[in-house]
Amino acid sequence: MKSGSNLERVLTAGHFAVTAELGPPMDCDADAVLEKAKILKGAADAYNITDNQTAVVRMSSIAAAVLIAGEGLEPVMQMTCRDRNRLAIQSDVLGAAALGIKNCLCIAGDHQSFGSAGRLKGHPGAKNVYDVDSIQLVSILKGMRDEGQQQGGDPIAVRPPLLIGAAWTPMGDPVEFRPIRLKKKVEAGADFIQTQGIYDVGQFEEQMNIVRGMGLHERTAILAGIIVPKSLGMLKYMRSAVAGVSVPDELMERMSAAKKAAGDDKKQARRNQEEEGITITVELIEQVRNIPGVKGVHIQAIEWERKVPEIVERAGLMPRPDVEQEKNAPDEA
Amino acid sequence: MRVDSAAEQQVDAASCVAACPVQTDTRLYVELITQGKYEDALELLLKANPFSSVCGRICHHPCEQKCRRNRVDAPVGLRLLKRFIMESTVDYRLSRRERVEATRSERIAIIGSGPGGLTAAHDLAEMGFAVVVYEKWDTPGGMLGTAIPRYRLPYEVLKEDIDDVLSLGVELQTGCEIGRDLQIDDLRDQGFAAILIATGLPESRTLGVPGIDSGGVLLAIPFLRAVGLGDAPSLGERVVVIGGGNVAFDVARCARRLGAEKVTLVSLESQQEMPAWEWEMEEALQEEVEISYSWGPKAVFSEDGVVRGIEMKKCTAVFDDTGRFNPRFDEGDVSTLLADSIILAIGQRGDLTCIAGSAVKASGDRLEFDPETLATTEPGIFACGEVVTGPGAAVEAVREGHRAARAILHYLDTGELLKQPVTEPPSLGDIPLDIAEKIKRREPIIPELVPAEKRVRDFSEIERGFTEAEALAEAKRCLACTTGALADEEKCAACLTCVRICPFGVAQVERTAVMPQEQCQACGLCAAECPAAAIALKRFGTNRMREEIGNIFPRMERGEDLQPLIVSYCCLFEVTSRKLVRAEPSAAAETGVARVMVPCVARLSVVDILAPFELGADGVVIISCTEGDCLYPTAEERLSARVQKAKGVLDEIGLGGERIDHWRTEGSAEVSWSAFWEISKRKLAALDGMSPAGMEVGT
Amino acid sequence: MIVGERKPLLELKGFIEDYHKVLIVGCGTCATVCFAGGESEVEVVGSALRIAFLREGKEREILEDCVTRQCEPEFVEKVVQRVKEEGIEAVLSLACGVGVNFVAGQLEDVPVFPGINTKFFGATVEPGVWVEMCAGCGNCMLHLTGGICPVARCSKSILNGPCGGSSDGKCEISPDVDCAWVLIVERMKKLNTLEHLSQILEPRDWSTSRHGGPRRVVHEELKPVETGNEQE
Repeated sequence: MKSGSNLERVLTAGHFAVTAELGPPMDCDADAVLEKAKILKGAADAYNITDNQTAVVRMSSIAAAVLIAGEGLEPVMQMTCRDRNRLAIQSDVLGAAALGIKNCLCIAGDHQSFGSAGRLKGHPGAKNVYDVDSIQLVSILKGMRDEGQQQGGDPIAVRPPLLIGAAWTPMGDPVEFRPIRLKKKVEAGADFIQTQGIYDVGQFEEQMNIVRGMGLHERTAILAGIIVPKSLGMLKYMRSAVAGVSVPDELMERMSAAKKAAGDDKKQARRNQEEEGITITVELIEQVRNIPGVKGVHIQAIEWERKVPEIVERAGLMPRPDVEQEKNAPDEA
Repeated sequence: MRVDSAAEQQVDAASCVAACPVQTDTRLYVELITQGKYEDALELLLKANPFSSVCGRICHHPCEQKCRRNRVDAPVGLRLLKRFIMESTVDYRLSRRERVEATRSERIAIIGSGPGGLTAAHDLAEMGFAVVVYEKWDTPGGMLGTAIPRYRLPYEVLKEDIDDVLSLGVELQTGCEIGRDLQIDDLRDQGFAAILIATGLPESRTLGVPGIDSGGVLLAIPFLRAVGLGDAPSLGERVVVIGGGNVAFDVARCARRLGAEKVTLVSLESQQEMPAWEWEMEEALQEEVEISYSWGPKAVFSEDGVVRGIEMKKCTAVFDDTGRFNPRFDEGDVSTLLADSIILAIGQRGDLTCIAGSAVKASGDRLEFDPETLATTEPGIFACGEVVTGPGAAVEAVREGHRAARAILHYLDTGELLKQPVTEPPSLGDIPLDIAEKIKRREPIIPELVPAEKRVRDFSEIERGFTEAEALAEAKRCLACTTGALADEEKCAACLTCVRICPFGVAQVERTAVMPQEQCQACGLCAAECPAAAIALKRFGTNRMREEIGNIFPRMERGEDLQPLIVSYCCLFEVTSRKLVRAEPSAAAETGVARVMVPCVARLSVVDILAPFELGADGVVIISCTEGDCLYPTAEERLSARVQKAKGVLDEIGLGGERIDHWRTEGSAEVSWSAFWEISKRKLAALDGMSPAGMEVGT
Repeated sequence: MIVGERKPLLELKGFIEDYHKVLIVGCGTCATVCFAGGESEVEVVGSALRIAFLREGKEREILEDCVTRQCEPEFVEKVVQRVKEEGIEAVLSLACGVGVNFVAGQLEDVPVFPGINTKFFGATVEPGVWVEMCAGCGNCMLHLTGGICPVARCSKSILNGPCGGSSDGKCEISPDVDCAWVLIVERMKKLNTLEHLSQILEPRDWSTSRHGGPRRVVHEELKPVETGNEQE
């Protein structure tokens, strides 16, 4: 065991893992976090707390992680490269580990210009850091955990027991390079991977074929990311504005039909689309589960966390396994 | 600041200038025509050639042969443009006549009043000498008055040039033949310090064939003189003209006009070898002159002493291996032509009567002569023109007259002879083909001749000159060779903008930019875009233009009626008369529009467009030529982009980019431009709260 | 070369508002080539400012000049002389930031205002379009990425790219910005060196860049030799 985290034990035991996402608030309202935690409890094996996602300032991932840990949920902290240099990164990781956080997802982070979109003003004028990139971040964490060394070389006596995660955009540009980049993340030390949202299962399958050919599926646990669609508008947005996400026409048509079936009744239309969205999500989960090499799903129900238990239930993934008995001490290596 | 350094640079002569035997600044007079400066053009012409009226009619235009536009479509009609200048400035020419008082003590005698002699007389009179010209005939002009038919050169036109020369104070004595009425030694005794023999080739050669003395066999020159005096003999129905040169054709065409139904020209030369000018031959053929090539006269047969016809033998070769004139015949191949008259135009000979009884040496009918010093064997006696060079063109005689005057001046100043080798000035090579391809084709304007069947009825002039609109349109075709761009290598940053912008692919950069003058089309696009202000155009100085605005547009002199003041840059190439070109300062004050004519407005830089606002203008109007008409590819688009940039600057400082208007001429410049100015004035008046008529609005 | 863009005219007018005799100085090198501050642009700015002041009825003397480079003492000397001799009160420099710094340093007691916003080191990718290509990081790594710089041309300066935001060959921040990593992958394919990208590039030493403090370069052999000592 590298971290002894619940997620690690679920994966090690060979279960199909489920992770879900919890977005912290834009203020310091701890109760809001706890509310969401209560809703999600039991629905997943671990819960990602985003880190200033889309460059919008929110309660820090580490703080919110500690809050949900208090409710008995296992957090996956997220760390971007955008806002911290290598010193702050390592410092925060040490602090997070000291506070009992055992999973960390390492990502580059959206450019700060993304924070001013829609109604939000964000901080487009902020300096970005990007002292290191996501792959270097993975290796820093690995160095801290396995070598007991800071990136600069200084020793770390008590090492942070972390399950190190990285993101993967299987259908990003340039498509044929994505498996190679995945390999770099694995080489750097990524224990688990959570992918960008998948709607086109066929395409994802093709990439997974290549990945399996490279043997990567055995060196890291790939969790397929599923973003729960709420409306036709959201699917349209996914398709046109989110890099690396492609939505097949069939899903668009289904959503569209659901919307139209309500005629002029806007409330009904919304309910139809939401219902269709859940259905689609469940189907997608079932489909990716059938792809060899996929070890779990990462469900992102953005500002819709309350639907996650239902989704997991309908996908036949409830209840989540209890791996307390399989608890081992983290490896000494 | 942009320096018009290009203007001061030495450049090669344009091809037309180099080709002209007297180096008339042809390129410049064409430019002056486009600027409406016809009087300035006249001064330029007369400085090089006192016989400009004559040459505007009958010059063989070597300038057109060498015009670099030949490679594009057709040469510019340079001779007709010269004619246009002469016809447009008749009154001005009269007004500028002024007698030149003799400032030198020496007197000079000139024998012969042809173009050579009179040109020398003109120059020597201007130098301050007293000049007397002796002419054996009753009227001056030499071959110009004698041998050139009136339908090509009306006598009044010749008179313009001759009278100009005489008005300087040159004394003309007609009806006085030196060598008969007066001897050269008499002239010496009379105190003439120098004598110039310029007697030309006044005699027609004759042939030694049997029957040549029959009645009805005439010689070309006496015949043509008689025709010119209105005293032509009757020729009968059928006329045979022997000869292949220009004189032979002149004779043949005169014969047609005198009523001969069948005129046949018989020449030794084959069709390809004919020495006459092509256009002469074409016009003659149109006038139904028939030509029998490669025949020579064998014998004239007559009856009762009057010619009945001519027997001809086939000419098998005109020149021998050394290129000398040495015709050979096939005596067995003969043919006959019936004729009521036969006229011999087989060449001319000098008449050396003038040196009779003097020490001046000659061999046969050729003076002993040094072609570089123009000196005969006697000190102080010079010769020039066809009498010593053999047959030549009128403009070449003018050149010789100039040389003679210089020779005589030098001799009188120093007692020495002046060597004047005739050298060909260097000129530009041809336009490279890949550039010639990119130049916009424009059909030359060629006024039609009077139809042939009308022409042969009398001796009226067969050609008309350009109208003003035609002249301006034809002058627009000039490529303005040698007036192109020059890059200052100290300022050039080698940014490559000129290379990318040049529509003809002319600009090159190695270390710094270079625009080879054989290629540059003087469009000015590179100069307008150069970020280092390193390129100037020889033809068009930006500083000159700003001075012009500064002159026409005194700062903030708003009239009493408060109308908006506009500077309008207008495309020079759109005008059809010079009324629109010459901007009177007072007119600007009245209309509120100061016109600046620009040869192609696409050369205006952003700062040119802004400059009038510094002087207090309320608006700037730019008027391009008609859409699609611009001489230069891409120029319209480049100008539009610059106008946008200038508008942007005015927007930034709060003045408002709408103060700049860019129009395209529609139909005629005269009509559409006034309309554009009105529209722009109204808009500006509304902007500034003034009514177009001048009252303040909203006060 | 250094690429910049001229500041808005009203901003420039604001700088010199209170000075009555102002000299606008252009630069004949980079600023000319990127059309920001060459002699032509000096003329346009001069003209625009004169028009603007004229409009307000204010008397101002706005003079113009241009030197080969404003980052070289000998060329700037001309400007210094002129400012002294003609009693110029303020200078508006249309050179890049280097030029402004340098000229201001040579003039010291006469204010020098910046006419240009200096942007980046870039190249002409097509006439009229300049694109950033170098970040001056002081430790060039272009041999590793097929000649395409991820520090300058990737918005996140990622060294092991591309990130997940790359879409249709464009960076997530704007469809006008190429994804440098797509370019790098394509390039290295052409060079047959794509497999090198499988190697992880370690975190960089940024101390050679501006992050390590203002930098200097010295060529000892060019330092002036003492006169009177002719021997090498």
